[in-house]
Amino acid sequence: MAPAPLLPVHPPNGPDPIVQPQKSQKQMTKAERRELQERQRAAKAAAKSAAGPAGNQGKGGAKPSAPPTPVPKKPGKSEALPKPPLTPGGRTKDRSASISEPAAGNARGLRIFSHFGLPKPVSVAKGDIHPAILRLALQFSNFKITGGNARCIATLTAFKTVIQDYTTPPNTTLSRHLMTYLSPQISHLVAARPMSVTMGNAIRQLKLEISGSDIDLPEQDAKNALFQKIDTYIRDRILIADQVIEETAGNKIKDGDVILTFARSSVVQKVLLGAHEQGRQFSVIVVDSRPMMEGKKLLSVLATAGIKCTYVLLPAVGAVINEVSMVLVGAHSIHSNGAVYSRAGTALVAMMARQHSVPVVVCCETYKYSESVQLDSFTKNELAPVGDQFCPFPLVKSPSDLTLQNRARLEILNPLYDLTPPTCITAVVTEVGVVPSNSISSIPIALGRLL
Amino acid sequence: MSPDPQTLPAGTQRFVEALVAKLRRRQVVGSREAALETVLVLRQLVSKARFSNIEQLISLIRAVGRRLVEAQPKEHSVGNTVRKILHHIREEYNTASKGTASSSTKPVYSISTFVLQGQPRKHNVAPKSEATLSLKENDPDDPDSFARVLKPVLMEAIQDVLDELETVYDNVSKNAKDHIHSDEIVLTIGNSKTVESFLKGAAHYRNFTVIVAETGPSYGGHSMARALSSAGISTFLVPDSSIYAIMSRVNKVIIGAHAILANGGMFAITGSLLAATAARVHSTPVVVCAGQFKLTPLWNLYHDYGALDFADPSSVLGFEEGALVEKVDVLNPYYDYVGPELVDVFITNDGDHPPSSVYRLIKETYDDDDHEL
Repeated sequence: MAPAPLLPVHPPNGPDPIVQPQKSQKQMTKAERRELQERQRAAKAAAKSAAGPAGNQGKGGAKPSAPPTPVPKKPGKSEALPKPPLTPGGRTKDRSASISEPAAGNARGLRIFSHFGLPKPVSVAKGDIHPAILRLALQFSNFKITGGNARCIATLTAFKTVIQDYTTPPNTTLSRHLMTYLSPQISHLVAARPMSVTMGNAIRQLKLEISGSDIDLPEQDAKNALFQKIDTYIRDRILIADQVIEETAGNKIKDGDVILTFARSSVVQKVLLGAHEQGRQFSVIVVDSRPMMEGKKLLSVLATAGIKCTYVLLPAVGAVINEVSMVLVGAHSIHSNGAVYSRAGTALVAMMARQHSVPVVVCCETYKYSESVQLDSFTKNELAPVGDQFCPFPLVKSPSDLTLQNRARLEILNPLYDLTPPTCITAVVTEVGVVPSNSISSIPIALGRLL
Repeated sequence: MSPDPQTLPAGTQRFVEALVAKLRRRQVVGSREAALETVLVLRQLVSKARFSNIEQLISLIRAVGRRLVEAQPKEHSVGNTVRKILHHIREEYNTASKGTASSSTKPVYSISTFVLQGQPRKHNVAPKSEATLSLKENDPDDPDSFARVLKPVLMEAIQDVLDELETVYDNVSKNAKDHIHSDEIVLTIGNSKTVESFLKGAAHYRNFTVIVAETGPSYGGHSMARALSSAGISTFLVPDSSIYAIMSRVNKVIIGAHAILANGGMFAITGSLLAATAARVHSTPVVVCAGQFKLTPLWNLYHDYGALDFADPSSVLGFEEGALVEKVDVLNPYYDYVGPELVDVFITNDGDHPPSSVYRLIKETYDDDDHEL
């Protein structure tokens, strides 16, 4: 390809790119300011990794204090284009040193992914973060704890520890002050990984309970009351809900059925194990895909329980969909228009099932309900880290055939979620009953607006 | 003379057996590779074969063709190449024998033969050889005279097939820039050389972005992404799971084929069906790049096991998962069947064709007698 004429999204930097950073903050657009910030951050990170060559600062002296860079300027004006926010902040220095310039140029070509949440290393704790939260944040960011239910339960449990260790400062009350104490803890968790809808709903409920706690209660009693509330929430909205779903969805499985499921959902796992315990004869096709390859975990649980399992990768789903009697998947969240936001790949499975007139049943507790309407998987998504540390490629694949890192003009994107449109969903099994996807908006009413 | 391969010269026989073994052991994979090898074997065969009339030669080729096809029935391009060469040989023979007195072999053109033969586009008026060849079949005095006279012409015809195979990528990508506009977002899967050269061809004129799905379990998308990015194309590598999520922003899906079937459907690498269906759901056009040697006179209406081909499961669930492997079934099909309703256009080295006209191309390319080798 000829030297790519890149989109001049930003005004050309003029003959002397060094002048550019002097532009006062007010003159810049919001995007420009953000990029400047990004650049400064990147420059700082590069400076920190002092072992790297001084040429690291290839960003054209974005940071005023940076030494004047000896990087030879390419003739094109696009050279001085700032590093876009798309480039992950967590990239290692060897990569950023050698290819950040062309990668930056590459990313100019397509900025539609730039809003995706990016995996970043857990930031240094700002302020007074409880150790339980610190540990949880690490577990989140390393994908040690995944899944809506697990993350929600872990968060609530951690908050119990936090609340237990909290003492109300003098001249204030628990109901007023506790939330201000919790807020930075929550932000720290969100910094580790974007908050799941389940966590959001649970935290909203917690806030409500905190603000509603009785001022006259002694502190420990108030805390105990909160613990009670948290335990009830976990029990009623998650654990018991799962039991109800397990029973309802389990009843839909008949002898001789072939159930197809994608990735791993804790609820689906319970449903399948429950139905197996009841003596139903069925087999399961576990469909799996990168970036997470969570299906393997489900597969080993099911196979150990003695359920007849078949394992295929997502591209092969077309080969097996004909013999499937029901698709059973979990959800990350469910939206009021009936769309299900779930692990990336669920939409493909649901689409194929619909094409072949196979019912698609989503198992989803009502606390995963989100008032918002989502139209596609693009506006809100999250990226899994690049590389294979979370999900190794099969050993038969030689690493030289794989591309595990970003290269010049090559960016690796691992979206974690996708949105299954309501048309592809036959029914949603919740603890308040089996709801067709076009009536999801009635869930709050069914709950008596418990949310 | 019996046409079985036993009558082949030993050298040729060895040549055939070598390819049979390679096909069987999956050492030759990929339709173009298999087609090339087949042409080379058939060229060797024709150059060494002894025959005194056209039927002998044809049955000789068919016997070898059958042997090759049986070695690897899912490598459709082998059979296609045999059919194509048979077609060319007959054509050459017809033009050559037209000049001779034996007018009985001369095809009579009527509307019925036209329909039967289905050759409206073939230029029958372009004889490669002067019609003054003195063809004498079954000459008792000199049984080799027929072969001696015809062979140069036949070798030329086979060379044409070989040339077509060798230039297929260039010819497919010839019109690439007419299919891709600036700033387009193209999704592709797998590691198809045809698609790669098509995209690279377009990259000379257009500035666009390619999103490559990894395409497990072969993860051929990784090599594809590297090849494209090193050619200066802005490339994104995504897991297969995000095809649906990304599709809403994709302008065009460009994929390769393994074999194009007479009904306009095709066999393509697993994952093609997902990508094509997701594209259909999002009303995104699906473009298939393939050489004409992939046209297969075969009908396949269902996506069933029989039509697919299965590969080694260890790339799906490796033996590192030892305890699990023995408890579960693992499927790893090579190909997907993608129906004609999911494809918008086939871009071949001989122009663009909608799926609905593939049957006609097949009629033109092969003789009806050869559909069953």
